[in-house]
Amino acid sequence: MTKIYGEAETKVRALDNVSFSVKKGEFVLVIGSSGSGKSTLLNMIGLLDKPTEGKVLVDGFDTSNLTDNEISTFRNKKLGFVFQFANLLADLTVLENVLLPSQIQFDSSTGDKAKEILEKVGLKDQLFKRANKISGGQAQRAAIARGLVNNPTIVLADEPTGNLDSVTAKNVIEVMKKMAKDLGQTFIVVTHERAQFGDVDRIITIKDGRAFEGEHSPELEVVA
Amino acid sequence: MDYRFHLAKRMLVNKRGSLIGAVLAVSIGILVINVNFVIFQGIYDAIIRDMSEYRFGDIYVYDEEKSTIEKSDTVLINWFERIPGVEAATPRLEASATAETRILGQQHEKFNVPVLGVDPISDIRTSTIHETVGDGQYVYARNSIVVGESVASDLGGCSRGGFFMSSGTDPTVTGDVDIGECQPVRVGDSVKLTITDQWGIDQKKRFVVTGISGTAGGQGFDRSVIIHIDTLRDMLDRSGESGSIMVRLQESASPYDAKQIKNQFLQAFPNDNLRAETIEESAESTLAGFRSGIAMINLIGYFGMGSSAFAILTIQMMLVNSKTREIGIMRAIGARRKDILILFIMQGMIIGAMGAGAGTALGLGYTTYAKITNMEFGGSLALEVNYNWQKIGETAFIAFILAMIASIYPSYRATKKQPVEAMRAV
Repeated sequence: MTKIYGEAETKVRALDNVSFSVKKGEFVLVIGSSGSGKSTLLNMIGLLDKPTEGKVLVDGFDTSNLTDNEISTFRNKKLGFVFQFANLLADLTVLENVLLPSQIQFDSSTGDKAKEILEKVGLKDQLFKRANKISGGQAQRAAIARGLVNNPTIVLADEPTGNLDSVTAKNVIEVMKKMAKDLGQTFIVVTHERAQFGDVDRIITIKDGRAFEGEHSPELEVVA
Repeated sequence: MDYRFHLAKRMLVNKRGSLIGAVLAVSIGILVINVNFVIFQGIYDAIIRDMSEYRFGDIYVYDEEKSTIEKSDTVLINWFERIPGVEAATPRLEASATAETRILGQQHEKFNVPVLGVDPISDIRTSTIHETVGDGQYVYARNSIVVGESVASDLGGCSRGGFFMSSGTDPTVTGDVDIGECQPVRVGDSVKLTITDQWGIDQKKRFVVTGISGTAGGQGFDRSVIIHIDTLRDMLDRSGESGSIMVRLQESASPYDAKQIKNQFLQAFPNDNLRAETIEESAESTLAGFRSGIAMINLIGYFGMGSSAFAILTIQMMLVNSKTREIGIMRAIGARRKDILILFIMQGMIIGAMGAGAGTALGLGYTTYAKITNMEFGGSLALEVNYNWQKIGETAFIAFILAMIASIYPSYRATKKQPVEAMRAV
């Protein structure tokens, strides 16, 4: 994938011919400094933005020709999102936020599953609290639960600990790892706080829009 | 419950200020229309009511070509009173006269006044004009006269501010009288009427005032005098003739019944040049201008409602802008543009429904207040307040639809937000 922003003199190559694949159940860390293109990469994988060149394949399915409605449905069913600021809807309770992805598909059968996941992320007692009444760590755990409720193919997390103190961040990372392990869930996590995550299945480093396999490995370009 | 409705409701509840502003905008529009309706339609209906009660009844019969009906009033009244649904009928005859009176033994005023001749017995059953006699009693004898309040006042010189002027300044004043203060004609006073009969000869007769008639709003005979119909017939030398027949239907009768009876009557008397009108037809010319006024006022009300739609549009735009991040989140987790559109249109529907409910409740409250208190303005006739459910429903429905329509553009704008950019909004 290549992503270019702007035109002519203002042209910026945010992603430069990046290509890699992720196996089911892998916990992948995408690291790099600020402005390296990590979040751009995640937006492309999450179909929130379109690459200038190239395409995203999920479960072997080419997503480049999907219509806007199809992209929405695809995001809803195949992808789970965890954002830096949790991004829960403040007007809803914790449980309602977690149920929202399934309600968008008018699926009312996920109530028990949502509660179960919330229990696993340690929010059993916070189900009916308004999303803006819980702590940042709790909100991020609720966001993880929301990202998992539809049993997506991939969970994409963009700086999930970027807005948390170290203790809370550690707790959130543990939850993500636990979920990945318990549910066999694929996680692609973008962060610039490599150390917080400890052991992960795989690391991809983004530098100047280019992707490299492993940590601090500028020589080795990732090849699919 | 649809999650979009649930979310729309929550978003609004958590933005109470905007919600209250938008609901008020809708409800005030409705209230304006309802208040206009109560006042202007109330006056309109009150005029119709009084015209029906005092002058035309439910059906009004007169000769198409001549000023009087030559056919016996007994025949016509008997015909009407045999028809089911007819309460009563009465003949009436109108003329004009010069009225004069003496106060403190001196003759000092002369006025031209309309004269109404009534049959005291049948008139009481057909019209409620006898109830407007506040002082004294209705016409009961051949020489009794009921004087309208304005006429009583004019005959007493009160129209001149309480002081008589010399005859030199006013040709209608026949004597140089200045008694300092005016004194309206009262029950027991004497009034002389001069009426020109059909042969052009002046017929004079003195009457005793038995009552003073006054109505709020002046739809009655405040500017007329009422005498016995037979006396008037004698003075006009029109024995057995009537100017009109006023017919009262039973309370249960509908306007449709009135039309049916009217048509039946015209079929029964095809060769008598008689014309029959329902109250709506009789009042048509009087009320045509008034109706235009009501339409104009309602138009202003609807413009007000249109303004409230703009207010909703503005408030909804603000709501959409304040929820940009939420829109981005929803889009990111799979909501389609259509879902966002529906969500914000639902907000408009909630605002419309709440505004319509509140506005209708306020309007009904005002209507009830007007009804209970027999609302009137400056001593005019009491409003005839009716609950026009169709009108109330229409107004609420239009307000609801307008609120929904006003939400379409902000909702459309909401769908145009890209998830990545929207989520960056603070």
